Amino acid sequence: MNKEEKQEPVIVGFFCNWCTSAAADLAGTSRLHYPSSIRPIRVMCSSTVDPVYLLRALQEGADATILGGCHPGDCHYISGNFKARRRVAIVKTVLKSLGFDDTRVRLEWISASEGQKFAQVMNEYTDYIKRRGQSEFKYIDSLGGDSNEQ
Amino acid sequence: MSNEKLREFIKTAMSKGLIGAVMAPTPTETSYTHALITSKRDVDKLVPIAPVMQWNGADMLRRITRLGDAPRKTLAILRPCEARTFKELVKFNQIKPDNIIVLVYDCPGTVHVRDYAKKKIELETLLDEMQSGKISDSVREACKICEYPVPVENVGDVGYGLFGTDDPVFFPLSEKGSEFLSALGITPGERDAEKWVRIHRENRAKWLENERITGGRKGIEDFLSSCLNCHNCKNMCPICFCKECFFEDRTIFEYNPDKYYDWADDKEGIRLPTDKVLFHLGRLVHMGTSCIGCGLCQQACPVDIPLYRLFGIVAHDLQKVFNYTPGITDDPPPVMDFREDELHEFEGLREGGE
Repeated sequence: MNKEEKQEPVIVGFFCNWCTSAAADLAGTSRLHYPSSIRPIRVMCSSTVDPVYLLRALQEGADATILGGCHPGDCHYISGNFKARRRVAIVKTVLKSLGFDDTRVRLEWISASEGQKFAQVMNEYTDYIKRRGQSEFKYIDSLGGDSNEQ
Repeated sequence: MSNEKLREFIKTAMSKGLIGAVMAPTPTETSYTHALITSKRDVDKLVPIAPVMQWNGADMLRRITRLGDAPRKTLAILRPCEARTFKELVKFNQIKPDNIIVLVYDCPGTVHVRDYAKKKIELETLLDEMQSGKISDSVREACKICEYPVPVENVGDVGYGLFGTDDPVFFPLSEKGSEFLSALGITPGERDAEKWVRIHRENRAKWLENERITGGRKGIEDFLSSCLNCHNCKNMCPICFCKECFFEDRTIFEYNPDKYYDWADDKEGIRLPTDKVLFHLGRLVHMGTSCIGCGLCQQACPVDIPLYRLFGIVAHDLQKVFNYTPGITDDPPPVMDFREDELHEFEGLREGGE
């Protein structure tokens, strides 16, 4: 696949079963448009996502990852989203510390009733990542990419 | 001399029945290893303060007490970094501390195992350099920039002060230690080790500024370019105690042949073996918040990558985010805990990060 073909970014979304995934359904049934760049993965809770999977998605070629969970206090498992927030804080800090673009990992609280917010966040994030260009993380341990580019 | 006095201390404690076992280093042909002894007649085989740290002593205590409490009262003689590891592993429920008394001493630093096997730099040399107020050039990088080279209150039970005194002194670090010393009839002594801490921290500040790995992909790839992917750094890390490591899991890291070819198509060629950098980044994410700074990852590296520059500096950034000092702070480790109102700067999209 050459670079010209790959205009549309790939964003891997890990969405919690109880809130953000339901919000994605609601956005769909409400006929709200959100970009096809989002590749949703339904997980039982935002805290079930080992932070390494976020890095892993970036290395597999995703331009960004987004982790969606219930609003603080609304977690189906009481405290999962607080743990997820700590994990995201760890991943973002590691990325930033080494000079990677930490905005390619994002954490969002989207409840089951916020179909509107879901569509809006996904649109806005896709635009942002498009402006940001291709992720260098994908080319780690490969022969491709321009290694001088930030 | 400092070792002689400690051996006397151990013998007295054993005669009085205060302890039934001791864990401390013992010399081997080209190094020192930890040993567990249970009788007074074996005390002279110990060299409680060794010039080398081949393993982290707290890791040995973890192996001993993983399945249950120590059956006899055990005195563990640990370096300051080992004592911090001890405290951290107790928080992770990896060490059962009830029957263990930890003695911590002013640490002159340790020589790299390989250097010691070649040159045999003895403890007396290191202690002399410490007494002259100079960090030895022979010690490991992690020792030169150690943040806590001396016993700290509530980290361990008994302190053994060597710096700035001809006659080593004992002092309590905890209530348990205080009772232990009074049972032995030892009057707590004093010594001033402020200078020893200060010169290490000055070194550390410079190190944090100069040795940082930056530059994203290029920075980390260049830094790890000679990595063998042997996982020695993980095996030696006292914080990496998982029985089954994520990175050894075949269901995750064994791929169908097609996968390799797809990657090679997509990424303009891939380096083999795959997932080398991801292993280190993943390890940072898993244990970085609790990195003690013993530097054993660097000592274990067969190709001499200065790994502690990667782990130590990223861990420093991580620990700042959570306002947590592993092995010192009494709070649970960041990965085991949360607050309801915190870390809002990591939610949503904050532009201008990079």
